[in-house]
Amino acid sequence: MRKLLQYLFNYRLRALIKKEFNQIRHDRRLAFSLIVPPILQLTLFGFALSAAVSNVRLGVVDDNRSPESRELIATFTESKSFRLAGYYSSVDQLGDAISQGNVDAGMVVPYDYARDLVRERQTTVQFLLNATNANTATISRAYAESMIQNYDNGLRSQGVSARIQRVTGSQLGLRGQVQLQPAFLYNPGLVDSWFIVTGVLGLLLILNSSLVASAAMVREREAGTIEQLLMSPASTSEIIIAKIAPLFLLLFLMMLVAFGVVKFAFGVPFQGSVLVLLCGGALCILSGISIGTVIATFSKSAGQAQLTSFFINPPLSALSGALNPIEAMPRWLQPLTVLNPIHHFATIVRGSTLKGSGFMNLAPNFLGLLIFTLVFVSLSIWRFRKQLS
Amino acid sequence: MRRIVAQARKELTQIVRDWRTLALALALPVALLLLLSVGLSLTVNELPLVVQDFDGSTASNGLIDAFRASITLHVVSWPVDKTAEEALASNAARAVLIIPSHFGRDMARGVNAPVQLMVDASDANTAKLVSGDASQITSAYNQRMAGGMQTGPVQAAIRLWFNPGLSSKKFYGPGIFVLALSMFPPLLAALAMAKEGEQKTILQVYVSSIPAHEFLLGKIIAFMAVALAECLVMSLLLFTYFGLSFAGDPTPVVIATILYAFCVAAFGTMIGAIIPNQAAALQAVAVGGFLLVFLLSGLIFPVENIPEGLRWISYIVWGRYYIEIVRDALLQGGGWPAVWFQVLIIGVIGAGFYGLAWHGMRKMQVKA
Repeated sequence: MRKLLQYLFNYRLRALIKKEFNQIRHDRRLAFSLIVPPILQLTLFGFALSAAVSNVRLGVVDDNRSPESRELIATFTESKSFRLAGYYSSVDQLGDAISQGNVDAGMVVPYDYARDLVRERQTTVQFLLNATNANTATISRAYAESMIQNYDNGLRSQGVSARIQRVTGSQLGLRGQVQLQPAFLYNPGLVDSWFIVTGVLGLLLILNSSLVASAAMVREREAGTIEQLLMSPASTSEIIIAKIAPLFLLLFLMMLVAFGVVKFAFGVPFQGSVLVLLCGGALCILSGISIGTVIATFSKSAGQAQLTSFFINPPLSALSGALNPIEAMPRWLQPLTVLNPIHHFATIVRGSTLKGSGFMNLAPNFLGLLIFTLVFVSLSIWRFRKQLS
Repeated sequence: MRRIVAQARKELTQIVRDWRTLALALALPVALLLLLSVGLSLTVNELPLVVQDFDGSTASNGLIDAFRASITLHVVSWPVDKTAEEALASNAARAVLIIPSHFGRDMARGVNAPVQLMVDASDANTAKLVSGDASQITSAYNQRMAGGMQTGPVQAAIRLWFNPGLSSKKFYGPGIFVLALSMFPPLLAALAMAKEGEQKTILQVYVSSIPAHEFLLGKIIAFMAVALAECLVMSLLLFTYFGLSFAGDPTPVVIATILYAFCVAAFGTMIGAIIPNQAAALQAVAVGGFLLVFLLSGLIFPVENIPEGLRWISYIVWGRYYIEIVRDALLQGGGWPAVWFQVLIIGVIGAGFYGLAWHGMRKMQVKA
């Protein structure tokens, strides 16, 4: 063990690491660009991105104009889900308003609405929804249905259709109702930003560490100083380790600041062990760095390296489940997330902050990250050696 | 005019020479369109649901069958000796349905029987979908058990317009089309422009007979051509694989596309002129072209959900207006009355970028 440590931190390596640190210190912009933009992005996206559906703009055609119809309209518009955007005099006008995007939903109350209610007949209210956005449409449909249901229940208790109910009750014999009692675990207030920031955190870590690492690795080649490094007695692994170590420390610092933002600006609860979180973060940074290193070995200049990362980063972030649920992807793509470090890190972060899962529950994700990192680090060392010879 | 064409031809030759830039220009947009359209949607299918049935009666089995029939939920098995929370903590399930003992007996006696649904709410949007779906399933079950007689006095007849199948592909396809157009042409333009500054070839331009505005126009036209070629390839995909077609008058979207191609090409050239460093220019385009358009344009998350203090940013995100135009043309069909303002704004922003690029180029001359 001691020998290993001695080997790991021999004077050659120490000198190389010191050199890298000096270079970073001279490059103030790097340290600045590593800390400030990611934190800004995290805050911006956390506050700005929300899939919540509220204040759906509702246009109304009220052909009945009775107290009953106005009450129904008020039930909709006084809720947080819908907002009255205007009254229209005909269905055609309402249709135009929907297709021009002035309103998102429309409700048409028929002229015989109040009469039917009084006569205890069933009456139908038409509800139009702009369904271009499938997610919003699904949720607003559920809102509308539950609102109508609540309104119905309210009518029943007022006695409008009490008679009907009593008759059916006696006809069918006694029959209980299933009452669903939903309990929202881990996020009872249904705060949208918690899901977003915990996902964006992984995105930022991987994207930034791969960019910074590829830039640092390619710089020596661009400047032509790589030959001098090779002339030194240091081995290739030592050169790579010395390059990675300072970057790792910087990125780790950035991660700590980001965790602070997640905790204090967004109020995400840290239920689980901080150690698990930090271990996951360290692995995530390492895997990001190893992606960057591999990219660097395929490119000749910083510009090329960044260009290459454009081929890798979008699919990596889109198919990670960081911003949307994995179940929204097609079945055949879902298993591919096993190869995605952002997915594993997002699961670890969500597990150990929101859910309080321990290491045992997250072991598969740790294993995934570890394997990913090992494969990519050895790939980069191999590519690096091959290029040198 | 001849000078402009010559400049544009030179740019296009340079693009074709390097496989990286060529792939970036043509292959990557298509790949992105295919990949993101499946990777972005929020509509979920087959969410794993664990059922813990402590009753085991016919009634409880009937309820479970109702859940099994759902498309959104997918009942998975879970060992009885493990607690329900463990299924959620280990990500084996998104929700757990717990049916207590005496459920069947209570139902038969006519007492209301409570059933608990524990939802993993770490993803609030999905949690809402799950609980909404579950409550619809239970109320349908209740109605069926009551012989379908207990429907309320007021019924809602809900019509879904423009996308009745609730296919998220049709919604995200146009959005990602816009994202790809906002990302790749300006990227190439910024790289080309920054390269001139980095390698000091811009000095040759200054001493040649071509004036600054013609030089810029030549560059912009070249990258407009790239953008329009991308647009053509991707719309082919939109009309076939995504099953979209023009819902109304196609003239607004055609004019807007040409203006938008100008706008993004001018944006890239502007960045390249202001930041004469390839790596830094690339990062600036990545922030402007990708992050802003990706996140603040209403591509995935509605603009209305952005808090007031930040929403003004989205008013200057050019992609936002183009997304509205493309969605209108392919889904809603509102035509000119719906989108004339958006078309105008794109033109204004494009002209603004052109002006700034000119300004930046003059400054670059001072520096060089």
